[in-house]
Amino acid sequence: MHLIVNPAGELPIYRQIMRQITEAIAGGRLKSGDKLASHRDLSEQLVIAPLTVKKAYDELEIQGLLETQRGRGTFVCARLPRPDPAGQLDQVRQAARKLLAQAYLAGIGFSDVLKTLKEADRDLTRGSAAQRQKERS
Amino acid sequence: MKPVLEFRDIVRAFKKGAPVLNGVSFSMCPGEIVCLLGRNGAGKTTLIHIAMGMLFPHAGSVRVFGVSPTGQPVAVKKRIGYVAEEQVLPARSSIAQLIALHRYLFPDWDTALERELLDRFRLAARAKIGQLSKGEARQVALLCAVCHRPELLILDEPAGGLDPAARREFLETSIQLLNREGTAILFSSHHMNDVERLGGRVILLDDGKVRLDRDLDDLHEDYCVAFIPSGSAPDAGALERLPGCLRARPVFGDWHAVFEGTPDSVRRQLEDALGVDGIQCVRVPLEELFVELVGRERLVEAS
Repeated sequence: MHLIVNPAGELPIYRQIMRQITEAIAGGRLKSGDKLASHRDLSEQLVIAPLTVKKAYDELEIQGLLETQRGRGTFVCARLPRPDPAGQLDQVRQAARKLLAQAYLAGIGFSDVLKTLKEADRDLTRGSAAQRQKERS
Repeated sequence: MKPVLEFRDIVRAFKKGAPVLNGVSFSMCPGEIVCLLGRNGAGKTTLIHIAMGMLFPHAGSVRVFGVSPTGQPVAVKKRIGYVAEEQVLPARSSIAQLIALHRYLFPDWDTALERELLDRFRLAARAKIGQLSKGEARQVALLCAVCHRPELLILDEPAGGLDPAARREFLETSIQLLNREGTAILFSSHHMNDVERLGGRVILLDDGKVRLDRDLDDLHEDYCVAFIPSGSAPDAGALERLPGCLRARPVFGDWHAVFEGTPDSVRRQLEDALGVDGIQCVRVPLEELFVELVGRERLVEAS
């Protein structure tokens, strides 16, 4: 997978990496058992300090999304945190209200918000749908 | 861990009564990356010269690998790599001659690394230094600074005067060395994007002192800038006395103040303390934070 960092961004670089990996896992572009680039490779590829990569991976490991196997590398967890839709639904509901309030105040209608959501879904799951199709055929 | 570099209460003046450095203290651990920030004239280069034993401090002490760089210059320099701000290399000698000199000076010279870097930079060993571009000359200086595998690399504005592509290549090489050797790096820079990429700890020199000494990521997450309507505070001092405030300055009739804390908590704190609404608090990129911390006051000019 291809990561992009923006050093002039408001988010620290390690958070930018965390966000992109989390989105890739959520969207199915990264699956359980997939191997991630090593600290060293990713740091040289993105031209950032190796410690920054380590920090991002460590945080994701604490969240239960990644696991490090000594001497073999870093992988997407074989057992991702068990989805808990009931527990999370309330937070998602709140986020949705916040999103709609922001959109309506800005004069953006519901149909446009829906369009934006679909776009975001496509971004998040980009590639994984095509892959699924390939696996099926 | 024993520090590789330690400044204790360093004072240094070039003009009597006007010290450039006035009590600077900090230390660096092995493998640590520290970025020195500060305006022109804030004393970054002076501090680096003191670490290199090229200048005596007027007060305070400096230790490199636990010893004085002026007391034991040879022992210290063996373990340091240094690229100066305006590195002057002998124009008439060839790259090969310059490297031969360094190989002679440093018994631990790594010829494999030397060849690899020459290759990567696409430098011809017989080329004369005087005919190199600015970027190429910097690359030669970097090569000479790292092939004895220093434990501490000091880079004084390594990107100064380089085009963006040359800067990026310089950075790529520094990061590869960092990966391979775990070298501690002290560098000064005005290029905030480079600072973000190298990461580590940020030390801001201002008014002769260490104004800020924090992890780069903490700076992003734990600091914000508050924009306060001008009528809400009588002067900058009133804001700066509030807990968590690092600096306040007037900008075209409003106050800009840097606070430690999350935007939400700082906004609430300010609304309580000042009894006004309409205060905006935002996290800002490093460049903006730098400007807010050391930029001058911008008053509306009286007409």
